[in-house]
Amino acid sequence: MSVENKGICNADMPVHDTGTGNVLSRRLNKILETRIENDKETLEALKELSTFFTENTLQARRNLRSKIEKRSLVINEDFLSAFRDVKEVLDAIYSDVSEMNNSVQKMISRLQATKTQTHHLIDQTTKLQAESQTLSLQKEVAGAFLRSFQLSPAEQAVLRGSSRECAITDEFFTVLDRVQSIHSNGRMLMQSGHQTAALEIMEQMALYQEAALERLYRWTQSRCRNIESPETSILLSMAMSRLQGRPVLFRYVLDEYRTSRRSVLVTAFIDALTQGGPGGTPKPIEMHGHDPKRYVGDMLAWLHQAIPSEKDNLLILLKGCDKTDVSDQILQTLSHITEGVCHPLKVRVERMLAVDTDATVLYSVTNLVCFYKQVIGQVVPGSQLLTTLEELQELSQHTFLLALQSQVRQQLSECVETPPSDLSPSPGVSQLLNLLRDVLSVGCIAEGRQQDLPQIVSIIVEPLLQAINESATRLPTSDMAVYLLNCLYQMQSTLSLYEFVDELLERLQAQSDAQLDTLTSEQASSLVANLNLGSIYTILQEQGKGALSSVPGMEPTGLKNFLSKLDAFLVMQDVLLLPQICLLLSGTHRSIVQHRAFEVIAAIYRQLYEAVHDPENLYQNPGVLMPRSPDQVLKLLIG
Amino acid sequence: MSAGPYNYSYIFKYIIIGDMGVGKSCLLHQFTEKKFMADCPHTIGVEFGTRIIEVSGQKIKLQIWDTAGQERFRAVTRSYYRGAAGALMVYDITRRSTYNHLSSWLTDTRNLTNPSTVIFLIGNKCDLDAQRDVTYEEAKQFADENGLMFVEASAKTGENVEEAFLETAKKIYQSIQDGRLDLNAAESGVQHKPSQPGRNTLVNDQQVNKDTCAC
Repeated sequence: MSVENKGICNADMPVHDTGTGNVLSRRLNKILETRIENDKETLEALKELSTFFTENTLQARRNLRSKIEKRSLVINEDFLSAFRDVKEVLDAIYSDVSEMNNSVQKMISRLQATKTQTHHLIDQTTKLQAESQTLSLQKEVAGAFLRSFQLSPAEQAVLRGSSRECAITDEFFTVLDRVQSIHSNGRMLMQSGHQTAALEIMEQMALYQEAALERLYRWTQSRCRNIESPETSILLSMAMSRLQGRPVLFRYVLDEYRTSRRSVLVTAFIDALTQGGPGGTPKPIEMHGHDPKRYVGDMLAWLHQAIPSEKDNLLILLKGCDKTDVSDQILQTLSHITEGVCHPLKVRVERMLAVDTDATVLYSVTNLVCFYKQVIGQVVPGSQLLTTLEELQELSQHTFLLALQSQVRQQLSECVETPPSDLSPSPGVSQLLNLLRDVLSVGCIAEGRQQDLPQIVSIIVEPLLQAINESATRLPTSDMAVYLLNCLYQMQSTLSLYEFVDELLERLQAQSDAQLDTLTSEQASSLVANLNLGSIYTILQEQGKGALSSVPGMEPTGLKNFLSKLDAFLVMQDVLLLPQICLLLSGTHRSIVQHRAFEVIAAIYRQLYEAVHDPENLYQNPGVLMPRSPDQVLKLLIG
Repeated sequence: MSAGPYNYSYIFKYIIIGDMGVGKSCLLHQFTEKKFMADCPHTIGVEFGTRIIEVSGQKIKLQIWDTAGQERFRAVTRSYYRGAAGALMVYDITRRSTYNHLSSWLTDTRNLTNPSTVIFLIGNKCDLDAQRDVTYEEAKQFADENGLMFVEASAKTGENVEEAFLETAKKIYQSIQDGRLDLNAAESGVQHKPSQPGRNTLVNDQQVNKDTCAC
């Protein structure tokens, strides 16, 4: 527009130039100085002008201004209409934007509303989420609780077993132990406050345990005989360790066990008796039935050796039982197991004892039984087996004593009748003493010989003594004394080898002493008679008043008779000995009798010597009459 | 190891015989307790001892019956030969008389045991070499002639005691392996016995090894 205005101005210029010179000139100058080619606006304006100013006429020049103004008006009108459109469009936009604003506002408010609403929801969700977390945690806890306080179905199945005969396995014990541990954990649970749950759990576990133990008990009872099979023995000892808490069941199993083992032992014993080892080695024990010692010994030794194995088995069965002291149970069970063999053993030993057997053999058997009674008594004290052995020992002892008595009786009646002429013990004495020696030579292997021995000895010796005494009564005194002394001497020398017979030896000694006294007095009387001392001795004893030398028979000549006989006797003592003295078997006896008899003579001599040397008795030269002093005589006699 | 004493596969029954005072009970004591019993009383009848050993990986319980050497117990001890898997026949190298009686002991053993019974001759008291009365060579010859196993041992020092018992067990075990011993028959002197399952084997092995090395 400014370009148009300039152009207009330029067109006016010449008109004004003429008016005022200076202004004109300045304008001229200005125009002249204007470089049209450099003034784009002018150029544009001129170019525009050229489009409608086509004819340079006056008219045209006069109308130019209006033309331009018209054009300007048109243009402005164009502008106006164009701007109206724009305005209209803008108005539309405005309304649109307003609307948009409205709806946005609305949306915002709605959003706000929703937001408030959602917030609540979120809160709820969060709450729910938290709750769900808590719940899942609780679930986990509950699961863990159940896992530790309840049995899984699989475990329950193991406990129950699929059927009654279903075998017990290692697993069973694991579960059973778990039940136990749950039960004891229940107690802890109770202490920590959860009493109801704890009580329920404990009750439930107790029920499981009861049922399981019941089943275990049945199984154990039916299998306990298989203690020797490797697989079951482990399970059995585990079972027993679990059952120890149930004394009744435990007891029942042990009852069953001992009953079955008892029959096993009996069978084995009978086998050993009748069948022996593989292929007949070792031979059946009954092969030695004819040899009582061997037979009884083998049977008892077999039993003795069977007991440790049974004990081992029992120890295996009860090895897990640590709650109570099982040594008593072991002992009782063991004694029950060995009960079965009592009968077969007893029958056999009794049968053997019923046969008429030599006393010596019977004594060996008694000894054997007694020995085993002691040995087995240490292993199974108080058992039936021990009682049986005691009975057998008694029976065997009794049988032995009876046999011994009858053997003694028989020999006495056969051999101890008339004493032989040499007054030596009759053959029966030696025979009976040999029997005694035989019996006592049986190796003593058991204690109690101290009681046995005097009894055995007296069974043999008492009747023997009696018999000897009886037969001796038929003899004259000296013969009787010598015979008895000889018999006693033989008995004494046999018996002195043994212990525990001191009393009897003392009695025998007393009897010997009595006989020695008898014999001594016989000998002394015979000496007195032979030396003519009889009257002298009587006078000396009865000596009253007055001088002895005047008593008849005591005068020196009378004494000389005696003294010369004494002299001869002092030189040859044997001449005046009783012939029976020489028959004494014991040198000691011989010398004792001789000694004592000589002492009697010496004592009388001493009395006479003192009487002769007594001045009151008025012997002349007593030293010449009796030159030997009593001591000299004693020395010569006994020396 | 509470289950230790119960883990074994077999029981072997042994009998120890020989004159009085040759040291039978001391050998047993040395073997079972690993100790020397200085004032050993005379055995009354029979005594009993056990120990578990190992042969070729099998645990074996030895059930050993130690007999009295005194003549008066012969009637008792003779019954114990029955069903013995092993017989240890002992003499005293310092007392010739105990050696001289071996043949009668051997006769008894042969008469009263199985043909498969392993007889092992032991010359005891080899620690008393200075008082030796029977040479090793002589006894060895006797053993060879009679097909016996032989060793000189000392219950006092423990020398060869372990060996004698173990060698006997090995020989018996060999007989079982060869089928010469019938396990099922009663009174073979050998019994099958429960043993724990394999899982315990290792532990036991170690224990037994330790046992056996302790001499």
